[in-house]
Amino acid sequence: MSGAGPRENIFPTRMALTNTKLRLKGAQTGHSLLAKKRDALTTRFRAILRKVDEAKRKMGRVMQLASFSLAEVTYATGDISYLVQEQAKSASFKVKAKQENVSGVVLPAFEVDRVPGTDFNLTGLGRGGQQVIRSKEVYAKAVETLVELASLQTAFMILDEVIRATNRRVNAIEHVIIPRLENTVKYITSELDEMDREEFFRLKKVQGKKKRDAEKADKLKSLQNADAERSPNVVEEGVESGGDLLSNRDEDVIF
Amino acid sequence: MTTAFKERNLLAVIGDEDTITGMLLAGIGHVERGKKNFLIVDSKTQVSAIEAAFQEFTERKDIAILLINQHVAEKIRPTVDKYQQAFPALLEIPSKDHPYDPAKDSILKRVQKLFGD
Amino acid sequence: MEALFYNVDAGFLEGIVRGYKTGLLTQNQYNNLTQCESIEDFRTQLSATDYGNFLANEPLPISTSTIADKATQVLVDQFNYLRSNAVEPLATFLDYITYAYMIDNVILLITGTLHERDTHELIERCHPLGVFDSMPALCVASNVEELYHTVLVETPLARFFRDSLSAAELDDLNIEIIRNTLYKAYLEDFYALCQKIGGPTADIMSRILAFEADRRSINITINSFGTELSKEQRARLFPAIGRLFPEGNNQLARADDIDQVRGACEAVSEYRAFFDSSATGGAPSNANGSTAHLLGELDDGGVGADLEDRFFLYEVHLNKQAFLQQFQYAVFYAYIRLREQEIRSLTWIAECIAQDAKDRIHDFIPIF
Repeated sequence: MSGAGPRENIFPTRMALTNTKLRLKGAQTGHSLLAKKRDALTTRFRAILRKVDEAKRKMGRVMQLASFSLAEVTYATGDISYLVQEQAKSASFKVKAKQENVSGVVLPAFEVDRVPGTDFNLTGLGRGGQQVIRSKEVYAKAVETLVELASLQTAFMILDEVIRATNRRVNAIEHVIIPRLENTVKYITSELDEMDREEFFRLKKVQGKKKRDAEKADKLKSLQNADAERSPNVVEEGVESGGDLLSNRDEDVIF
Repeated sequence: MTTAFKERNLLAVIGDEDTITGMLLAGIGHVERGKKNFLIVDSKTQVSAIEAAFQEFTERKDIAILLINQHVAEKIRPTVDKYQQAFPALLEIPSKDHPYDPAKDSILKRVQKLFGD
Repeated sequence: MEALFYNVDAGFLEGIVRGYKTGLLTQNQYNNLTQCESIEDFRTQLSATDYGNFLANEPLPISTSTIADKATQVLVDQFNYLRSNAVEPLATFLDYITYAYMIDNVILLITGTLHERDTHELIERCHPLGVFDSMPALCVASNVEELYHTVLVETPLARFFRDSLSAAELDDLNIEIIRNTLYKAYLEDFYALCQKIGGPTADIMSRILAFEADRRSINITINSFGTELSKEQRARLFPAIGRLFPEGNNQLARADDIDQVRGACEAVSEYRAFFDSSATGGAPSNANGSTAHLLGELDDGGVGADLEDRFFLYEVHLNKQAFLQQFQYAVFYAYIRLREQEIRSLTWIAECIAQDAKDRIHDFIPIF
């Protein structure tokens, strides 16, 4: 029974039993807590999943609109791509990361951090400047959507990772640690029982031996007693005889 | 991982000319000491150049989000699929000539897989 | 008098141009094009027009920029034919048409040089109409100073540069300001040339150029709202010709918002209609509405974008009028501009088809 599953290599003592029992209890509490955490995360995860799906689809539309606005620019101004590429200096559209806490998991979320830049302000000055400005706005909006999506996606990746880890832990506790501790407890208990039984047996044996010894002693005693019974007779006889002798002597003594 | 993303505040793009132009118009362009945060991919661009840019952008410490055109991602799909880091966040975006196909997205593929089993 | 001898030199070419003009797409053909479901269809439809099989050898999928490039190539071929058959003064006139594109090309090269790019790869980005023989020479220049001198020596644009810019300015001025300064010089010079040619050419061309100048002035004004461009700088970019000059230009130079621009244009009856929001812009404003609807409101773009469309419309109108009169050079200019507009329209339609934006497909400017 004690060798049925893996167990901890521990010396089966009563102290160890108490300890192991405590650890088992801890593991069970931990398991239920982790399971709760996993459920919370999964709920969150599902929500994010749905949002990711939605946002990805929205992105398709927004990007289409954006590239269309660029087509408008090309229509009015001509090809500006090279100018734009060369004029890019420092980013006016940045993101800021902030944190969000979901059941102890830190999820980063990106926030748009846009400084109204003056880049490209004069692009299309003579022709199509309005379209350029419009396209700028449309693209900025599109990128905002992308940033939103990126935070969702990062959250998704991190949550995915964390949920996996939590799942691993939950499963490990459920299928490895708890059985092992239980086995250990069983082992210790059985070992202790065994020791009890051995002790009992030993005691029994000792008792038996004692009994035997006692019996032996008794026997000897009784034998001695029997002897003694007989010898007092002899003594008695002797005494009697002695007495007899005395008496005899008395009788025989002339003097 | 929890502190590293504080310094990440740039976006990077790998894509075709129109996408890049639009993104730059929006103001994400950042050129520092000749190093750009965008790569224009046209029919002449070597796959190895895309790979290199992808590696560079994913290893840079100041990039929070990497945008890549889906049809470009398609060219380096194994690398993209292998990419598992949370930072920088990798986002596949549609381009003008290539409408968005959710089935190819490496993230959505994972989503589908999660829903699947 | 000029009508008497006109045909000796330019009669043949005018005939050619008028022939080309009938090759411009008609409303009917546009209608067919807008019905196309794919770029494939689009190509088939186009092959039935004067464009013929210009896209036949292109591998699928055809991008819209390829269509624009190829269509431009058709135009360039036609122009080169005209140019090589032209004699003075028509040859100079045609050269002047190309200067506008040259300005753009030189600006592109300047941008490249400023950012220390390899300018050779820029050559293929240049507009083919603005390519000139000595252009590769410009690529040799490694800094702006050198480039400036090369431009002065090598290009036909020298006089525009000499009069309005110095080498130092080239370095610190915004590239768009340089472009517009050059363009202003170009317009004024072109205008002077037309006056010299005289006769009906001067009449018609001055109308077209005046509008071009006014359009630039108005655009510069509107586009410079809220930018770092100061009012003095702005005023310096206005061409000193046009119907708004000088009174309207002065008002434009002082304008702070679109209403003041409108006020400046009050004096010219044709321009007044541009700002009348209920006049012609039913379709574009509708379309803006649908876009804005999807993205939340983008308020300030509307007026300007509409305006641009109306400018295009009016330009087409003026250019079409140029064909009403014979024995003058304006037809050449007008044809090039109309063809350009047509290429823009084609690209637009192709773009709409490619991006599946059928609701905006009718926003092009038909010519006939």
